[in-house]
Amino acid sequence: MADAAASADKSIQVKLVLLGEAAVGKSSVVLRFVSNEFQANKEPTIGAAFLTQKCRLEDRVLRYEIWDTAGQERFHSLAPMYYRNAQAAVVVYDVTKAASLDKAKSWVKELQRQANPHIVIALAGNKVDLVNNAAASSSSTTEETSEDEPDDATATPAELAQAASGDGLRAVARDEAQAYATEAGLLFFETSAKTGEGIVELFTEIAKKIPIEHILASTRGGGANRPGGAASGSNAQGNVNLDANNQTPKNACNC
Amino acid sequence: MGVVQAIMSVFADDGDKLRCINCADGRTRITFLARSPLYYVCVSSWGEPESVTRFHLEYLHLQILSVVTALQLQRIFEKRTNFDLRRLLEGAYTYLASLHPLDLAMTTASLGALRIEPSLRNKVADALVPTAKIKDMLYVVLVAGTRVITLARPRKHSIHPGDLHVLLNTVTSSSVRDAPASWLPICLPKFNPNGFLHAYVASVRPAAELTLVLVSGGGGDGFERVRGWCETVMKKLEDDGTLDAVERAAKASEYSVADLGIQGLRHFVYKNRAHVQVTTPRWEEPYESLGARRRLITMYQRIHDAIHAKSGQEGQLKLQYIRTEHESVMGWITQPFELYITLSPRLPKSAVVGAANAVARWAKREEARLFLRDAPVF
Repeated sequence: MADAAASADKSIQVKLVLLGEAAVGKSSVVLRFVSNEFQANKEPTIGAAFLTQKCRLEDRVLRYEIWDTAGQERFHSLAPMYYRNAQAAVVVYDVTKAASLDKAKSWVKELQRQANPHIVIALAGNKVDLVNNAAASSSSTTEETSEDEPDDATATPAELAQAASGDGLRAVARDEAQAYATEAGLLFFETSAKTGEGIVELFTEIAKKIPIEHILASTRGGGANRPGGAASGSNAQGNVNLDANNQTPKNACNC
Repeated sequence: MGVVQAIMSVFADDGDKLRCINCADGRTRITFLARSPLYYVCVSSWGEPESVTRFHLEYLHLQILSVVTALQLQRIFEKRTNFDLRRLLEGAYTYLASLHPLDLAMTTASLGALRIEPSLRNKVADALVPTAKIKDMLYVVLVAGTRVITLARPRKHSIHPGDLHVLLNTVTSSSVRDAPASWLPICLPKFNPNGFLHAYVASVRPAAELTLVLVSGGGGDGFERVRGWCETVMKKLEDDGTLDAVERAAKASEYSVADLGIQGLRHFVYKNRAHVQVTTPRWEEPYESLGARRRLITMYQRIHDAIHAKSGQEGQLKLQYIRTEHESVMGWITQPFELYITLSPRLPKSAVVGAANAVARWAKREEARLFLRDAPVF
């Protein structure tokens, strides 16, 4: 505790919001990131849950303040309160549910229109464990079928119904989502909160892309004297040699 | 669904109200409650009085209002009479379903208080009174599970037990309990059925289910202020060891009926009427099984119904005693308290009366620890 408190002043606070349709696994993604745990049959979030997690990037420590929002329609009107001051957003969809990508796109649109202009947005296609058996190559399409239903412990009631109707397989092609993400300027990952696939990478890449100088400048109260902070931050992404690829993701983000 | 609607509207057309249908099998009763624009129906064969079923349906209504306010309901159904309400309740079913018909505090329309040393309770209470900086704070409640340790409120707003049960039922649902902190909109219908408040819920000591609930009347953007204050308070309570003490106390707060040393006594519910709070010992044999527990609670409910003349009885009773093959149960109401006690069916009535007196004396003696008496106001 004392250690955490001591480093608290040095760490850079980053507000991050998770958005997306109900039952796509937002809370599970956060739980995997924060506690490295997975719970089957998680109950729906009410309102929003607030969690924190540190993320170490070379010499810097980021402290994510995470808003995990409820996906139900009736909570939609509360969302601006959560994303208004956010520096990062993770918009989650379910790779087995095409409609959830449409919802994700509408969230992205809303964020780009109304959130902080420097916000870093990542698109996450979750529940990829459900389709990994069925040729998870990047060319997989919705036509693919598999005789073998993946083990479905993450199932929410809606999803169970879907699995029962024989629809549990990939409904959003990786290429399609990737193309959309590139076009809209988003980071893109396919993730599985159940197996942990892609989760740490997701938060680590966001951390790299956050315009830290910009945050520091504005929190110091010195004014944002680098208006290009966001742009340079994102450009820097390609240059920063974090050798994250050689490192195990666990080390990249240890807390 | 259509049939229910048809039957209920036939009665409504005559300016009458359909209350219930007693089925020919003599056990099943279908109870109806109309809370415009919604109809509630319950089919039960537990044998509880009709007033109890109705009371539970009222609670279900309150819980639904906590999610969709009365104003929203009215507007929705004005526009579209065939609106499928399930769309708006999506994600809320788990805690709608968790409203527990066997909750004794709910049954007696009171608050379940945690047994704890009064000095410790007061120490926590003092810390939880919001500073003048924190505007719009309505209720500050510290609970262990669903038992209240302390509750701070503004001088001009008391909290209705119905609202408290709705609030506790919501914040003890697993998605809230598992998160370190949550911020959720909630309507407390007895306070105001038409508007949302916001609750900040912090899981303080998960092992003892210690949860701090701050209900704010301000807008949803008050979060940072509320959280900041909460963290300051928690740090203080953490640093001076109060939280550790409360956690230990919470874990040791349940008591056995045997601690009272009253021969033949198996279980009781004691309600302090002035404070609107109940205390009960933990469930032990022969009431470990759900079936036996339900049977006993149904007995309590029948006696509660008779004592308060809830089902159109001629007058209220002071005392009722029922003996079955399983147990003897007695209900007794006086000015300061309401008591329900259960003993072995083999004991004579005089022993039951003696036990009731002994429990009442014990509760009087223990009052400071059992009940929350000096809840702070601000």
